[in-house]
Amino acid sequence: MTAPTAEPLISTSQLGHAYGDVVALHHLDFVVPAGRVGLVGANGAGKSTLIKVLLGILDPTEGTARVLGIDVGEDPITVRSKVGYMPEESCLPLAQTAADFTVYAAELAGIPTKAARQRASDVLTLVGLHEERFRYIGEFSTGMKQRAMLAQAIVHDPELVFLDEPTAGLDPAGREDMLSLISRLGEFGINVLVSSHVLTDIESTCDWVVMLDGGRVLRTGPLTGITGSDAVDVELLGDNDHDGVIAALRTRGAEVEVRGGVIRVTANDDAFDIIRDALAEAGAGMRRLSQSETSLEDIFLAAGDNE
Amino acid sequence: MTSDQGVVFDLGYQPHEGDRLGRRGAIFATIRDGLRRILGIRRKARKKVMPWLLFGIALLPVVAVVGISFFVDDIFSGGVDNPFAGHPNIFTITAPMFFIFSALAGPELLIPDRVEGVMSVYASRPMRVSDYLGARAAALAIAAGGFLVVPQFILYVGLASLHPDGLFSGLVDNASDIPKFLLASLFYLLTYGAPAFLVGLFAKRLGPAWGIYLAFMWLSAIFAVVITEATSGIGRYAALIALSIHPDIIMDWIFGRTTVREGITGADFGPMWSVGIILGVAVITWIIGIRKYRSLL
Repeated sequence: MTAPTAEPLISTSQLGHAYGDVVALHHLDFVVPAGRVGLVGANGAGKSTLIKVLLGILDPTEGTARVLGIDVGEDPITVRSKVGYMPEESCLPLAQTAADFTVYAAELAGIPTKAARQRASDVLTLVGLHEERFRYIGEFSTGMKQRAMLAQAIVHDPELVFLDEPTAGLDPAGREDMLSLISRLGEFGINVLVSSHVLTDIESTCDWVVMLDGGRVLRTGPLTGITGSDAVDVELLGDNDHDGVIAALRTRGAEVEVRGGVIRVTANDDAFDIIRDALAEAGAGMRRLSQSETSLEDIFLAAGDNE
Repeated sequence: MTSDQGVVFDLGYQPHEGDRLGRRGAIFATIRDGLRRILGIRRKARKKVMPWLLFGIALLPVVAVVGISFFVDDIFSGGVDNPFAGHPNIFTITAPMFFIFSALAGPELLIPDRVEGVMSVYASRPMRVSDYLGARAAALAIAAGGFLVVPQFILYVGLASLHPDGLFSGLVDNASDIPKFLLASLFYLLTYGAPAFLVGLFAKRLGPAWGIYLAFMWLSAIFAVVITEATSGIGRYAALIALSIHPDIIMDWIFGRTTVREGITGADFGPMWSVGIILGVAVITWIIGIRKYRSLL
């Protein structure tokens, strides 16, 4: 559940940014709705630059960006009063306790001190730092620091939170915990923009995706629309006649692609019916039959090849 | 009916439905955080030692002497040779303590935020660059009030209490001292605080920042004396780089007294030169700060 909003969460028009002669963002045009949005791209694709432009830290060298319906260039202060930000690099003062810093982070967003203390306690509990909240941040592990960074990003109840590589440096268990927390943010009514070069992180947490490559938008849309497919994957029993099944499928007009032990079938008519008939004709049995899903990685690689 | 099993409630996340104080709240929070930081409040014990030691040295002599004055009648007599004879002389005790405190506090207010990446947090809050730098400067100004104004105010009350017509008459008769020591304190704040901020804007570590500040302030004073005495004509302008001497000259001027100070007095510059240089350094520091932090906030 995310906060209902008539305006798109983020929209850009011909947005560009350059560091001197190095162009980091090229004419970005995209609109994303409320929800959990993944910003995907390789290192150096422009993800962090885009987030900094959306926060008003960096000025666009061309074009405009609107966040929550507000023009960032015209009114960055109003945008900042509605968002949270978890940067890729550490943003924590090592000489403060997690509790003190989280209270301060809330006060910086204008939350009165008493409410800030209560919220900091609640949020540190939410991210799993309740027991460690009075420890100095300098004594924290990488995973605990990441949690503290998430806490400061959401303690003031932002409408939108930018998370830049939130799983960087985490071990597998810590990564799972962080992804679980990010997934829950949507349930709390907080819109999320997650930047990551780990595509599986985006697949597991987001419902909309913006793919960047070399500062350009490669593709954008709902995750299901991008990764969904009309194809059907069928896995045969080991000793069956693969070639016979493939031939039977092709005679029925299906496109067939073999990926390891899986046959991917794409057809204009109902693929399930065609597979049933082909298996019957070849006398083969199957282990698994499912709607095919293309991973973000496949799409990313395919789009890169097309470029 | 009771249960022998506990129940864990996941409260989840509650939206904030109360007031939001906006920029004003952010600025006050930054001032409060700055004060805590430079005084070591809610920090490890070693962070508290120097600020409170310096504050104690600045404050205790005045408190002690004012206390003794109730038993010893002529403790405030004796003119400039008596370190407790009046407001200007109290500055000779408190200003050096504030000078060392500024060396520690200026870099402490700016460097950790930048080096530890905390500027990213400010960048996602309703603040402008001027809000951040102004709030940090305000924290130093409030601390300066503790170091410079509070001892003067204690002396003011102490002197008034010895007035032959009673405390109230003393407060009224000596009221003209208040704007004088406030103004003098302001110039000490600007003289010591602005260069400390300037060092904090660029240094990446606290230790070297303290060293650079103290070395500059001390060596510039020595350099000014040596150059001024060794040269004549245009060389006398070298005396003006002795930043640490300027607030003393202004303080003398404000309180209407004359004190011979090495180098700069001999160069025969009036107090307005000192005022101009102090304000110039402060304005330049502010402009540099705004330009440097524009890419961070």
